[in-house]
Amino acid sequence: MTTTKPLKYAYYPGCVSRGACRELYLSTAAVTKALGIELVELKSAACCGAGTFKEDSELLQDAVNARNLALAEAEGLTMMTQCSTCQGVLGRVNEKLQASEPAYRERIDALLTTEHHYNGTADVRHMLWILLQDYGLDNLKAKVKRPLTGLRCASFYGCYLLRGQQSGRVDDPVNPKSLEQVFTALGATPVEYRGRTRCCGFPLSSYDTKNAFAMAALRIDEAIEAEADCLVTPCPLCHLNLDSRQPEVEKAIGRRLGMPVLHLPQLIGLALGIESAQLGLGQHIVSTRPVLARLGL
Amino acid sequence: MLVHDSAKKKSMEIAFRVRRQTGNDPATYQTYKLDLEPGATVLDALTQIKWEQDGTLAFRKNCRNAICGSCGMRINGKAALACATRAADVVDERGEILIQPFGNMPVIKDIVVDMQDFWKHLDQVEPYVSTAARNTPEKEFLQTPEQREKLEQSGNCILCGACYSECNSREINPEFVGPHALAKAYRMVEDNRDDQTEKRLERYNQPDYAWGCTRCFSCDEVCPMGVQPLEQIQKIRTKLLHSRKLPENTAMRHRRVLVAQIRNSGWLDETRFALEVFAKSPEALLALAPLGLRMLLKGKMPLRHHPIDNFAEVTTLIDAVHQDDYN
Repeated sequence: MTTTKPLKYAYYPGCVSRGACRELYLSTAAVTKALGIELVELKSAACCGAGTFKEDSELLQDAVNARNLALAEAEGLTMMTQCSTCQGVLGRVNEKLQASEPAYRERIDALLTTEHHYNGTADVRHMLWILLQDYGLDNLKAKVKRPLTGLRCASFYGCYLLRGQQSGRVDDPVNPKSLEQVFTALGATPVEYRGRTRCCGFPLSSYDTKNAFAMAALRIDEAIEAEADCLVTPCPLCHLNLDSRQPEVEKAIGRRLGMPVLHLPQLIGLALGIESAQLGLGQHIVSTRPVLARLGL
Repeated sequence: MLVHDSAKKKSMEIAFRVRRQTGNDPATYQTYKLDLEPGATVLDALTQIKWEQDGTLAFRKNCRNAICGSCGMRINGKAALACATRAADVVDERGEILIQPFGNMPVIKDIVVDMQDFWKHLDQVEPYVSTAARNTPEKEFLQTPEQREKLEQSGNCILCGACYSECNSREINPEFVGPHALAKAYRMVEDNRDDQTEKRLERYNQPDYAWGCTRCFSCDEVCPMGVQPLEQIQKIRTKLLHSRKLPENTAMRHRRVLVAQIRNSGWLDETRFALEVFAKSPEALLALAPLGLRMLLKGKMPLRHHPIDNFAEVTTLIDAVHQDDYN
């Protein structure tokens, strides 16, 4: 697809990219700049609740995210997420409210302050989907300055990206291809393995640590068996359990894993020739040096 | 996707690649080719294979009508009912359909799995309206259409095992009771005829019950009856969170702190989040110290937390929702 006008989105960064995964925020900024994608950051957007709001009250999840979506509507832009969980939650709320009875929409609107009004006119899509659907893989390929030749990448999609919403899905949840298509466009080699569509265990990590770590270990082991050089994820919550807590996972299983986990824009940034420091590749708990070494950097 | 044209009544050749295994022997794959009438289900095909090509192929079947739940299996990697899946709808571009047994249960033979744990876990949630409540001699139990409606969705479960097969938590935790049992558990706590609600909630308030789910959506994705087990699990969690009688565990505290923090600043302050969730557990905090240090050294632990712009709007909104929804 040829892009005729500059792409512009209402950017919903999410909590983790501004907290424990700053490198995601940095690399998204660097990559979108290099690709000529303009982002208008929604600075008064609230946390989507990551699925937890719904357990307190479904109305809470719907109302807070109706406000978030209304902020993108007010900009007249499609909302861009960069987190599988944010995408699944916002996408699901949007499709639910778009299809809901007027009475429920009115109830939501009555809760929002007068400045915000949810119309259901904005679309919300993950950066991965935007690259595929709006930017186009051919255009991305044309921007590659440093093909990631020989780098074996294992995708880790995140549950909410594959199964969170019913409408507007890009991938078949059983056999997704979008990340693999991006890897190929960047010159890397996609690695097929079972764990890529499964759960990382993050939601259990605060109160059932043993099982959260067992789940992470299983996934990483599956990727190691498939001879992956790194995992690549569009979900910073997966990153927290798979990278930040990998030393604890290793301790729990009594074995070294040493599997680097990259955020999707970091991988793209490497192929675009962006400096690794600008992509925050030094800010990982598991060293990303083996990945850089594989690329001769 | 191939769509058959029933007007032409043309049969099509499909290759079924079937996983064969007896007990713990190594698994093999065997391919059976057969001509199928348009509209034939995967179960029709397997039955035809068994009758005409290979009598040793083992799979369960009974009603052929998506009622009994016997013919659950993985079709092209996704748990489904063979009787409710038309072969023409799932055949791939090579003309092939992959048939495998359910996951999370040991194989007895071919597509037949041992469902003993599945039933054991269902029993653990006590899936019966409590008998004590039956001792009302005067009249029958009354239930309004509204009360009944709350039980409909989880009541549609046919116990086929598709959700259990794909459950991420069940895969790593053999003690986790699974989505089928928790969907039933919700049906029990919501049933106005049952008089054990408090006891039930106490039992479900554990990591092997309601808190064991990772919200991966796999159960909702495969359920052939629209039970949406995850939806039911989330409704149990809502009841647990709003109970004033249950002691607060870490799972509950995690959720309450998250909502409170977003109410205060519009988004999550991860460092304070950890401190507040584990405020009452010095050992847990100590165990997190190495993680905290590693995060700090890598610049992954911001020491300052700035509220989002216009955060007071979010505070007002959350308060308004609570007032609306809790009352």
